[in-house]
Amino acid sequence: MKKKTVAVMMAALMAMGMMSAVSVQAGIEDKTLIVGFDAEYPPYGYMDENGEYTGFDLELAQAVCDLEGWELEKKPISWDSKDQELDAGSIDCIWNGFTMNGREDDYTFSVPYVDNSQVIVVAEDSGIDTLADLAGKTVGVQAASAALELLQSEEEGGQKELADTFGSLNEFADYNTAFTELQAGALDALAIDVGVANYQLKSRGEGFKMLDETLNTEQYAIGFKKGNQELCDIVNEDLQKLTDDGTVAELAEKYDIADMVTLTASDDASEETTENAEADESAASDDTEAAEESDDAAADDASAEDSAAEEAE
Amino acid sequence: MNLLEMKHIKKEFSGLEVLKDISLEVKEGEIVSIIGPSGSGKSTLLRCATMLTKIDSGEITYMGKKTVWMENGKPTVPKKSELKEIQSYFGLVFQNFNLFPHYSVMKNITDAPIHVQKRDKTEVYKEARALLAKMGLSDKEDAYPCQLSGGQCQRVAIARALALNPRILFFDEPTSALDPELTGEVLRVIRSLADLHITMVIVTHEMSFARDISDRIIFMDDGVIAVEGTPREVFSSGNTRMKEFLGKFHQG
Amino acid sequence: MSFQVMLRELTTGFGSTLMIFFLTLLFSLPLGMVVYFGRVSRFKPLSWLVKFYISVMRGTPLMLQLLLWYFGPFYLWGMNIGGYKFTAIILGCSLNYAAYFAEIYRSGIESIPIGQYEAARLLGYSRQQTFFKIILPQVVKIVLPSVTNEVITLVKDTSLVYSVSYIEMFALAKQIAAAETTVMPFFIAGVFYYIFNFVVAWVMEWFERKLDYYQ
Repeated sequence: MKKKTVAVMMAALMAMGMMSAVSVQAGIEDKTLIVGFDAEYPPYGYMDENGEYTGFDLELAQAVCDLEGWELEKKPISWDSKDQELDAGSIDCIWNGFTMNGREDDYTFSVPYVDNSQVIVVAEDSGIDTLADLAGKTVGVQAASAALELLQSEEEGGQKELADTFGSLNEFADYNTAFTELQAGALDALAIDVGVANYQLKSRGEGFKMLDETLNTEQYAIGFKKGNQELCDIVNEDLQKLTDDGTVAELAEKYDIADMVTLTASDDASEETTENAEADESAASDDTEAAEESDDAAADDASAEDSAAEEAE
Repeated sequence: MNLLEMKHIKKEFSGLEVLKDISLEVKEGEIVSIIGPSGSGKSTLLRCATMLTKIDSGEITYMGKKTVWMENGKPTVPKKSELKEIQSYFGLVFQNFNLFPHYSVMKNITDAPIHVQKRDKTEVYKEARALLAKMGLSDKEDAYPCQLSGGQCQRVAIARALALNPRILFFDEPTSALDPELTGEVLRVIRSLADLHITMVIVTHEMSFARDISDRIIFMDDGVIAVEGTPREVFSSGNTRMKEFLGKFHQG
Repeated sequence: MSFQVMLRELTTGFGSTLMIFFLTLLFSLPLGMVVYFGRVSRFKPLSWLVKFYISVMRGTPLMLQLLLWYFGPFYLWGMNIGGYKFTAIILGCSLNYAAYFAEIYRSGIESIPIGQYEAARLLGYSRQQTFFKIILPQVVKIVLPSVTNEVITLVKDTSLVYSVSYIEMFALAKQIAAAETTVMPFFIAGVFYYIFNFVVAWVMEWFERKLDYYQ
C-alpha cells in the first residue's frame, strides 16, 4: 500500500512534469512574447466587460506582436513576485504601467512611453488641499509600488520628508480596497499614479478629488530582464513604428491618457507612413525593402535613445 | 501429555521482579485457576503464556513444541510459520473484552476463522450460530458491541475465542470489569465449558467459583507460586499469606 | 461588465479552484498515511527527518512554501519554470496538507486502545490485517471531524495560490473588482466558497452518519 501510493504519486508528478516540458518547448517554437502584468491595474492592464484582459499596455503589446508575427501571451502576475517571475523566465517582460525611475539599475528598460506623475487623491470634503495638509493624516499606498518607493526615498526628488509628516503610511494590496477604505474614512489620502487616479475617479464618480500638487513626475517603460538588450531593441523599434503610424495615439485616445504619452513621431514619420501604406498594397518583394529601411531607421533611433537615457541618469 | 509447560519463567518491569522463577504445567482437559492478591503477577503470567509479554528468561512449551527457549542467554522463538501454528493452540479472554467495535457480533466471531484460518464460510457461520446459542445470545447476531451489556460482551468474547477451536483457553479476570449482577451469567457460561472438558486457565477473584470449577488451584503471591493443589488442599492450607488473602475476601 | 459575464468568469475561476482542491486531496490524503508511517518508523533517522518535515510544513506559511516550490527550481538549478506552475501548486499544497493529515492520523491511531491490537494478535491476524481490518476503520471514524475541518480550510486556502500568480476564482474576483471598481465579485466569490463548503460539510456529515452504527 505504502509503496503503491508513492509510486502513483511519482508517476503523476512525472506526468505533470512532462506535460509542462512539452508546453515550454512549444513556447519557444511559436515565438511567444510573454507579458507579465498586474491585472488589477486599469487602464493599463485589466479585465474588460467580456472577461478578456485588455488595457493600453496590453493592446500596445499586441500591436508589437502583430508587427513581429509573434504570439502574445498575457500573463497576470502577482505584483509582489514580479522580479522572481522575470528572473525565472516565466515572463519576458513587465509591461504594465511600470515606473522606471529609480529602478534603472535593476532592469533593462525600453524607451519611456508614458509620463506618469504620482498624485494624491482625497475625499472631496476632506479639507485637504495641499501636500502640507497631509501632516498627521493616514495615507495609503500600494505595496511595492513606485509611489511607495518615492515616499521612502531620501535621494534627490524623494519625498521621505513629506512622508515623515504623515500620521501613518499604510500599504494596501489593491486599489479597490484602498478606495473603499478612503470612502469609509479609514484612509485620509491615497498616493497613486495619475493614470490610475483618473480611471478610478472617472468610474467612481463623485466624492473624490485629486490634489493639484504632484509628488513627482515619472515615466513608465517596459522592463526586461537586466541584459536582455536584444528583445528590448526590437520592442523599442516597434514602438517607434507604432508611434509613427498613429497606432499609439489611437490607443492613448481610447484609454483616455493621450496627454500622458511621451512617444513622439520621428522626423520622417509622415514619409514612412505613406511608404508603409504603399508596401501593404504592393507585392511581397516590396515588403522586404520596407523592412530593411525601417531596420536602418531603428538603429539610428536606438543610439539616440541610449544617449537620452544617459542624460536622464 | 502436558498441553502447556512453563519452566523457570522470570520477568521484571524496570527493576521490579514480577515473576520470580515460576514453573507451571497444564494437562489436557485440566481446569486450573490462578488466585492471589493484586500485583502478585497472575495477569503477567497469563500474558507471558500467551506471548503478549516477552519473558526475560525461561522456557515455554505447547503440546511438546518449543515455543520460547533460551539461546545465548536470550529468549528465542521459532520461525514465523511454526509460531503461527503454535499460536493457534491457545486463546485468551480479556478482562475488558476487547471486542472490535466496528464489527457486528457475528463478524467479531466469524472474521478470524474465515480470514485467518481460511475456513469455509458456511461452516464457520453454522458453528458461530451454535456458539451464540450456547452463550444465550442467538438474538444478538446483528447487534454491535456498543448495544450489549458487559456480560453479553464478555460472552461474545468467549464465543470469539472458541470459534478458533483452541486447545487451551486463558481467562484474564473475565468478570472483574462487570457489574456484580452480571458476573453470574459469564461464570455460568465458563462452567458450561468446563462440562465439555475444554482445557482452561482462569485468573479470577471469584473464590467460590474457582473452588467449584477447578481441578487445581494456584495461589500466587509476590511473583512466586505460594500454594498449589486441589481446591480442598489450597483452601485448607496453613500458608499465612493464603489465610490473610482469604480472610480479606470473607470480610469483603 | 454584466452580471452574467462576471458570473461566467468567476465560474471558470471556480473550476481552477476545484481542480486544486481535488488534486490536493487526492494526493495528500494517502500521502499523509505514508508520512505517518515515516513519523513512527523504528528507523530513527527517518523518523527524525519526517518530524522535521512536519514541523517545517506546519511552522511556515503555505504561501511561502508555494513561492519556494515554484521559484525554487529556478533559483537552485536555473531550471526553466515556464509551464511548471500548476505542478508546483499541487506539489506545495499536497505536501503541506499531507503533514497535517499525518498528524491527524497519528492522533487517531494512537487513540486506539492497545487491547485491540492484542485481541487481533491473539486471534491470529497478521500485522497488515490488523492495521487494515481492525485499526484503520476505527481510525477513520475518529479522525473524520478533524479531517473535515482540514478539508474546509483547504477550500479557502486555494486562494493562496495567487501568490504565485495562478489565476483561480479569488484572483479573478480581485481583477474584476479592480476593473469595475465594485465589491460585487467578492460577494459572489464568498457565496461560491460558502456553497461549496456547505456541500463539503454535508458530504462529510453523511460519512459520519454512515459510521454512526457503532461507538
